Amino acid sequence: MRTRSSLCLLMTFIGCLCLAGSARAETLSYADAITVLAKECGADIKRHCKGLNLGNGAIQGCLEAKASKVSATCTATLETVIASIEQRQAAQQGYSKVCRHAMAQRCKGMRGDGNILRCLIKSTKHISDECNQAITDAGWR
Amino acid sequence: MATRSRTNNLLLALASTIGFGVLANVGDVGAQQLTHKQMITSLGRLDAAAPEVDIALLMEQANANVGNGVTQLPDWSRLAKLSQLVVEINFENNSIAIEPDSYRALGLIADALHHPDLFRYKFLVVGHTSSTGNPKHNLELSQQRADAIREVLATTFAVSPDRLYSIGVGQEWPIDSANPANAVNRRVQLINLGLVK
Repeated sequence: MRTRSSLCLLMTFIGCLCLAGSARAETLSYADAITVLAKECGADIKRHCKGLNLGNGAIQGCLEAKASKVSATCTATLETVIASIEQRQAAQQGYSKVCRHAMAQRCKGMRGDGNILRCLIKSTKHISDECNQAITDAGWR
Repeated sequence: MATRSRTNNLLLALASTIGFGVLANVGDVGAQQLTHKQMITSLGRLDAAAPEVDIALLMEQANANVGNGVTQLPDWSRLAKLSQLVVEINFENNSIAIEPDSYRALGLIADALHHPDLFRYKFLVVGHTSSTGNPKHNLELSQQRADAIREVLATTFAVSPDRLYSIGVGQEWPIDSANPANAVNRRVQLINLGLVK
C-alpha cells in the first residue's frame, strides 16, 4: 500500500515536471533581465570582477571562471538571464522569416520594420501562432 | 577624479528640443524615472530633419579646448537641438567599469533602441564629467566611458553597432553650470542623430 502511494506521488511529480517543461518561458525585457542579474550577482561582481565591464561578455566570463567562489543563486541567475537575452535576440532576428507569410498577406507593400511590425501587431488575430509568439518573444507587443 | 561610487536611483531626465539655457535646468525640472514608452517618445521626437553632426569635428573641438568650457565648443550647441535623453550611469571610481546598480539604465536604453519606432535611427552616446579633477583626464575618461556604454549596447544587448557613436566632452558642458563640481554634471546623454542611411 505504501509502495503504491509512493508510486502515485512519483507519477504526480513527473506529471508536474512534464507540465512545467511544456510551459513556454516568457522572455524578459533587457532592462528586467539585467536588473535581476545586478540584484543576484551585484555583490559577486563587485567582489570578484572589479574593474570589468558588462560589454563583450567580460562579466559573464568572469562569473563563469570564478564559479567556485560565486554564489549558487548568481550562477543560476546568470544562466537564466543569458538564455532570456538570447531568446529575445533570436526572436528579433528571426521574426521576418517566421512572419513572412503574414507580412505578404496582411502587410503587402509596406516598408520598414516599424511599419511592418505595427501592421502585424494590428493583425494579431489573423496571423499564425508562431508569428505572434515571435513578436511577443521579441518584446514588441 | 571626476568620478564616484555611490548608490542612487536611476535618474532619467528628459531633455527634448532645447537650448543651453533649458539644458541647464534639466536636473531640476526633468529628473524622473521615465517609462519605456516615454523614453521611446522622447528619443523619437524629430521636429525637423536632424542637422548633420560631424563627430570628428566635435572630438577635435573638445580636444583643442580642454578646460575652456562650452562657449569654446561652437558645434556642440547643435546637439542641444536634437531629440535626447540624459541618463545617470555610475562607474567604479576612475574606471570605465559600470556599477551593477546602473545596469538597469543600460537595459532600458537597449529596450528603447530595439523598439520598432526607433529602429531607423542612429544615436550618439555623450559622456560628461563634473569639474572635479584634471580637465584633460576628465575628457579622456568621459570618452572611454561613452565607448564602454556603446560597447555594452552593441555586444550584450545586440544593438547594431552602425547605429551607435560615442564621444566624450569631459567637464566642458555641465548641466549645472553654476556648480561645475556638482555630481549632477556626471551623466550620459543619448542623442538621436537621425535616420540610418
